[in-house]
Amino acid sequence: MTPPVNELVDADRGYINPLVFTDQGVYEQELEQVFGRSWLFLAHGSQVPKRGDFIQTYMGEDPVLVVRQKDGSVKAFLNQCRHRGMRICRSDQGTSRTFTCSYHGWAYDLEGNLVNVPQEERAYRNEIDKSKWGALKVPRIAEYKGFYFGTWSADVPEFEDYLGDMAYYFDAVFGRWDNGVELVEGTSKWVIDCNWKFASEQFASDMYHAEVSHASALIALHEDPAFWAGTSHQTLMPGRQFGGNGHGSGSFWADSIGFSESMYNSPALSEWVTANADEALRNVSEQQLLKVAGHNTIFPNFSWLAGPATMRVWHPRGPGQIEVWAWTYVPKDAPDEVKAAYRRMTQRTFSPAGSFETDDGENWTEIQQVLRGWKARNNTFNAQMGLGHDERDVHGLPGRTSDALSESAARGFYQRWSDLMAGLSWSDIAELDAARQAKEALHQEVQEA
Amino acid sequence: MTAMIEHSGGAQRDQPDAGAGSAYRRTDVLTQHAVEQFLYAEAQLLDEHRYVEWIELFADDVHYWAPTRMTRTHRERDREISDVHQSAYIDDDLQYLKGRVRRLTSGVAWSEEPPSRTRRLITNVRITPREDGELAVTSNFYVYRSRLERHEDWCVGERFDVLRPVDLDATGYPYVVADRRIVLEQTTLLMPSLSILL
Repeated sequence: MTPPVNELVDADRGYINPLVFTDQGVYEQELEQVFGRSWLFLAHGSQVPKRGDFIQTYMGEDPVLVVRQKDGSVKAFLNQCRHRGMRICRSDQGTSRTFTCSYHGWAYDLEGNLVNVPQEERAYRNEIDKSKWGALKVPRIAEYKGFYFGTWSADVPEFEDYLGDMAYYFDAVFGRWDNGVELVEGTSKWVIDCNWKFASEQFASDMYHAEVSHASALIALHEDPAFWAGTSHQTLMPGRQFGGNGHGSGSFWADSIGFSESMYNSPALSEWVTANADEALRNVSEQQLLKVAGHNTIFPNFSWLAGPATMRVWHPRGPGQIEVWAWTYVPKDAPDEVKAAYRRMTQRTFSPAGSFETDDGENWTEIQQVLRGWKARNNTFNAQMGLGHDERDVHGLPGRTSDALSESAARGFYQRWSDLMAGLSWSDIAELDAARQAKEALHQEVQEA
Repeated sequence: MTAMIEHSGGAQRDQPDAGAGSAYRRTDVLTQHAVEQFLYAEAQLLDEHRYVEWIELFADDVHYWAPTRMTRTHRERDREISDVHQSAYIDDDLQYLKGRVRRLTSGVAWSEEPPSRTRRLITNVRITPREDGELAVTSNFYVYRSRLERHEDWCVGERFDVLRPVDLDATGYPYVVADRRIVLEQTTLLMPSLSILL
């Protein structure tokens, strides 16, 4: 018997019941309660630059078309014909004026409105009200610094409120250049037989794995063995991890602007970053440039790194499988040579063939395999790293943070997950979070006294 | 043998380039044989995890590259496979390719430790001699991978190589790979990672 869904994780004590990664019933509820009610990443504007440009992506398991409109806005709708449910568009990307279903020919415009029904007079006696049979529209779309997010929920807070303090960490990377970033064209997609939360949680909260899991990555990057212990050196560096609203971000701190870019081993890139430091400092603070350089997740499944310029969505495909969709982001105004340096190093480290990436998938697939065992599935996982050592608004960083080697953000991630899975309304969740924060403040006062 | 290959290459300069005119290649038997044996030898080195020997088969200026791919309509099919400025799974120079070899032989590259078992089938070898004496070689590959207890996956696609003749007696091989583009048939790779070399 599966325990009640709201008892599967205990964020206060750092317990995770592995059924959250394996149970089909839990997964079905996730599609409705988590993916159906959260803000999900749809596209970056650079993927659909001109009117009629579209990409197909997913919200959970639902295929959606994201389309640049005639007025320059971006809209999205379910890639499903309202007649018998056929996919309206079967390309990953392209440019179009209409989307015509290849089953019976119902045609939809760029907004998803039904505009043509073949044989309308003979077959429907002109009695069909086309205005009622448009593709299902994503009702709320938010644009934030060139990124588009969508939600099916009428109640989820506005996107910036949903981000909360995470905005500081997002802006540090994507808000530092006057004209923002763009994605290198083309998506790396691959399938990992693991639950989506392993990936999402790791990018929210796990600096701890790097030293062991990625032991070989620096061997690939550097010929000189003196560099091979680099991840161990990093663990001596100061750093913090942020967690809030289910999101997470963690970094070791750089000691100078441009330090994070030194890994690219590209003089052109380093020179460009240094030469444009003033522009970055006009847009974000020096603190942001120095202290936000690592892993990040916006709940539930959108992640990026601030060192290697990789960005990805973990699309769920059942309790035991994900599709990873990954891109490289580059400063829009950088010269081609600099963009190429970002692209090459990011792909060498974090493409599906990347020297870091391949070892992550190995861990997650093995865990999922082990969880086939009945005992293994009914075990308890330990998520207690740094428990009771959170602080708020310290070191110049907003929100609840702890040491970089912590699972504070993971506990926050699972707390938000649990609240949504329990079916709590967004206003209930906001109240609960406020109460939790008050309790946290009390705890901090007691400790200080 | 090297001299013969160079000669036969030179004799075929009038042959149309790939993609223009007839798809049929009038390659002489010796060249065809030497190229096929070279590709088989390379596949053997990889299947036997002899990476340190394998890396010697690549030229100093090699671009070893596997672009991403997407589903596009027939009308937009020329944009299906990424170009050099767009996304790639692999985009290496010799220096980084050597880095991959260091990683694979490190004992701590967990996606290949314990190593995968692979079996490479290289077929449909088509050769077009170039003006500079190098050979443009297209081949199909089917790489089966078995991993750990029961994981298996397949990489199927086409490789576009440029082979540069070298002294067979000095190196043990008649060519080095001066350029390699690997085009996979899948747009969503049905594998947890591309941790093997292609």
